[in-house]
Amino acid sequence: MKSLRTAGLVIVAAGVLLTAVPSSAHHSFAAEFDASKCRDFSGTLTKVEWTNPHGFFYVDIKDPDGTVHNWSFQTYALITLRRAGTSLQLFKDNIGKDVWVRGCTAKNGKEHYAAAGTLKFASDGVVRQMGQLQD
Amino acid sequence: MRSRLRLGGACVAVLALLGARHVPSHAQAAQQYAIRVMPPGGPAPRLPDGHPDLSGHWLPNSAGEGVSGRDGVDPAARRQFDPKVTPEAPPAFQPWAEAKIKAMTPVELELSKSSVNCMPRGLPAIWLQNPYSTVIVHTPAMMAQLYEVLNNWRLVYTDGRPAPKDPEPWFHGTSTTHWDRDTLVVDSFGFDERTFVTPTGWFHSDAMKVTERYTRPSKNYLIVEITVDDSKVLTRPWKSAPRRWTLGNGEVYEFYCTNNRELDELGKLKEQESYGK
Repeated sequence: MKSLRTAGLVIVAAGVLLTAVPSSAHHSFAAEFDASKCRDFSGTLTKVEWTNPHGFFYVDIKDPDGTVHNWSFQTYALITLRRAGTSLQLFKDNIGKDVWVRGCTAKNGKEHYAAAGTLKFASDGVVRQMGQLQD
Repeated sequence: MRSRLRLGGACVAVLALLGARHVPSHAQAAQQYAIRVMPPGGPAPRLPDGHPDLSGHWLPNSAGEGVSGRDGVDPAARRQFDPKVTPEAPPAFQPWAEAKIKAMTPVELELSKSSVNCMPRGLPAIWLQNPYSTVIVHTPAMMAQLYEVLNNWRLVYTDGRPAPKDPEPWFHGTSTTHWDRDTLVVDSFGFDERTFVTPTGWFHSDAMKVTERYTRPSKNYLIVEITVDDSKVLTRPWKSAPRRWTLGNGEVYEFYCTNNRELDELGKLKEQESYGK
């Protein structure tokens, strides 16, 4: 039994080694955002800014006390979004509709501002990668 | 002793299994991915003068299409090189240069990155820290490099013209070229000192010389190998792994940096960092 466990560990370790990839040259998520302050957000998409080096989209999100705040979420550069199949038109088609976002808030304490990791429009239920919530 | 023997035996068995089945198992495993390693695609095209034609739309991976933010990508297709096959040694910094880099705070390091500050990447960073595509238009007399990132471009003359005696410092330097059989060798000097070689704080001096070696082993692959010689910063020249770029579909996107909020956000963090000191 012990040797089976050992063999399992070796297989897992070998798998990690074989699948390790060098990280692509990019700027650091951890320098600007707090990986310990990530959460799910639900609200209504209000606006999109299709700009570089990052896109931004805005969501009206209701606090537990009922107050609504307009949050802005940072995305990948537009080239990355486009090559992954996410277009400006997709955002435009979903303005005024429900959206779910997984994101992490800024380290400098800026309110209602976060990096987006994944996003799901209620209209099609597809989970799309918007950014990387780790380095 | 017996359990140690069993552990050794298990390791040998697993490694033998991995070694014996490495190629076919990877080939089989790759079938499950939607985005795979690009095939060679036949022989490289040639220029009218017989040299390899480096023209194409080149992506910095082994897939021939975008891989960031996408699922179902073979890890081998994400890579430009396999560090286990072609390892890349770290740069050998002079002690003062190493100390200068180590003294950078996380925010200072972040602000030094062209992906954050929107400065041109420059040479050699354009080949070492560029996740976007590059179009090359190659004739016997000239190679134009059109970088998707920041809509930058560079002309490399291959008509044998001599380098100017006192070049102005440019982000891409001033270049001369020659062919080493089927490899185009580009030697450059005279660089703007504001760029960084890698996003890890590797700065350079006005003495930096860069050699690029371009080969096109097949239609779908461009190999770029970089050597950095900087006698004021390094103790010996640094050589990159041969990095693969693969032929894309020609769809190139505009990338003007017009909405950069990171400088403001990181500026606030830098203030907080200063108060904390």
